[in-house]
Amino acid sequence: MIRFLVLLIFMFLYIPIVYVVASSFIDGGEITTKWFVKLFEDRDIVRSFYNSLSIALLSTLFSVILGSFAAYAFLKTNKRFESLFYTPIVIPEITEALSLLLFYRLLSFPLGFYSVLLGHIAFNIAFVFIIVNARLSSQLRSIEDASLTLGADEVQTFLRVTVPIAMPGIIAASLIAFTLSWDNFIKTVFTTGPGFQTLPLLIWSQAARGVVSPSLNALTTLMLFVSLFLAYLYAKISTKRE
Amino acid sequence: MRHFLALPAIIYLLVLFYLPFLITLLYSFGFPGFTLKHYSEILDPLYLKVFINSLILASITTVLCFILAYPLSYYIALKAGKWKNFLLLLVILPFWISFLLRTYAIMTLLTPLGLMFTFPAVVIGMVYDYLPFMILPLYASLERVGRSQIEASYVLGAKPSQTFLKITLPLSKSGIFAGVLLVFIPALGEFVVPTMLGGTYATIGTITWDLFLRYHNWWKGSALSVVYMALVLLAITIYIKRSERIEL
Repeated sequence: MIRFLVLLIFMFLYIPIVYVVASSFIDGGEITTKWFVKLFEDRDIVRSFYNSLSIALLSTLFSVILGSFAAYAFLKTNKRFESLFYTPIVIPEITEALSLLLFYRLLSFPLGFYSVLLGHIAFNIAFVFIIVNARLSSQLRSIEDASLTLGADEVQTFLRVTVPIAMPGIIAASLIAFTLSWDNFIKTVFTTGPGFQTLPLLIWSQAARGVVSPSLNALTTLMLFVSLFLAYLYAKISTKRE
Repeated sequence: MRHFLALPAIIYLLVLFYLPFLITLLYSFGFPGFTLKHYSEILDPLYLKVFINSLILASITTVLCFILAYPLSYYIALKAGKWKNFLLLLVILPFWISFLLRTYAIMTLLTPLGLMFTFPAVVIGMVYDYLPFMILPLYASLERVGRSQIEASYVLGAKPSQTFLKITLPLSKSGIFAGVLLVFIPALGEFVVPTMLGGTYATIGTITWDLFLRYHNWWKGSALSVVYMALVLLAITIYIKRSERIEL
């Protein structure tokens, strides 16, 4: 009985995804890749693709640097400051997004690429901090002390002891930060300006009217594959560590 | 000395996360002037109806997610054996896919079924999106219960139903509470699902969106957002208080 129920629930979770992917490869009963070819012929879509990619890459880069240094600085020593990084995770995204919009308006900050990027970095810093913080062992201090006692200087210790120990956490955090930024919708839609569009905004502009189309299926499939590929990399890295 | 390395990140969050919230608070009181009128306008029957709509939708979503997630989490945590890791992977995978894409995916199925723009469509979409958020904390707490306590209960002569009601369920209470919170709070402000699948079904989320992006009514939108935030903070405070008590 319970097995049957479990099966049904997993079918509920996965049939829609399989259905979208399958229908993006089908045209009138025949298997085709023409919907994907069409995507790459559409200038709007290609431009949005590059926009999404550059926002995701840059926000990952900056948030990983800032967030990792913050995690390294605290090493679980200061709970009060740590909680500063937890709030952005628990707060509903929509309230964060609209606050940022008001902030930009107040400063007359132009809405577009930079306003979106700055917003993405903010929530990614919090995620990076939490992931790296969780992976950094609280014993790191004593391992560093051992390295210093054995005659390494501080720079050597940092580069050859601290960084290698922190690396798996940093890579995991980068993958998550990239994913969050790559398919972020709410924060982007509130902080973007005329003329700057990412792939999620493009999907929204058509799907919000309840329209299902083969090219939208293909676009969704494309985005799904990117997310799933990142998830695969993440799983590979975490199992390797064990 | 080392603590200074955290400074850039902290300053960044203070400026681009915490300060904007303060500005929202200011706007809700009528910035650059001062008035309480935006709050009183939210108490208008029209908005009250939106709050009730959101509460109904979030409650139904939470209850349905719980009913589906509990047996599933129970199975994965205690019965799945060698399949456990694989099933867990299937639960975690959707976390890597955004709500927008997952809602679109369910939309492609609801369209041929002729269910689009109905209340059931919204509910199905909400349950679809939020289910993993309920499964994971339930799984974590049931995993901690472990088999041995359940077996001990059987050995001591309890019936399966007694074991479930007196051992398993109470011991998974912290997970139930976490799951309910993780689903209920964001579901209350959800706007992707009601907009895409429900057409005109108004929730706190869709009204906030309209006030900000359609009518540019920053003041009333801010007041609504502050009220929503207050509800969220209240729920989180209760959660922290409770989990402290459970740990004791």
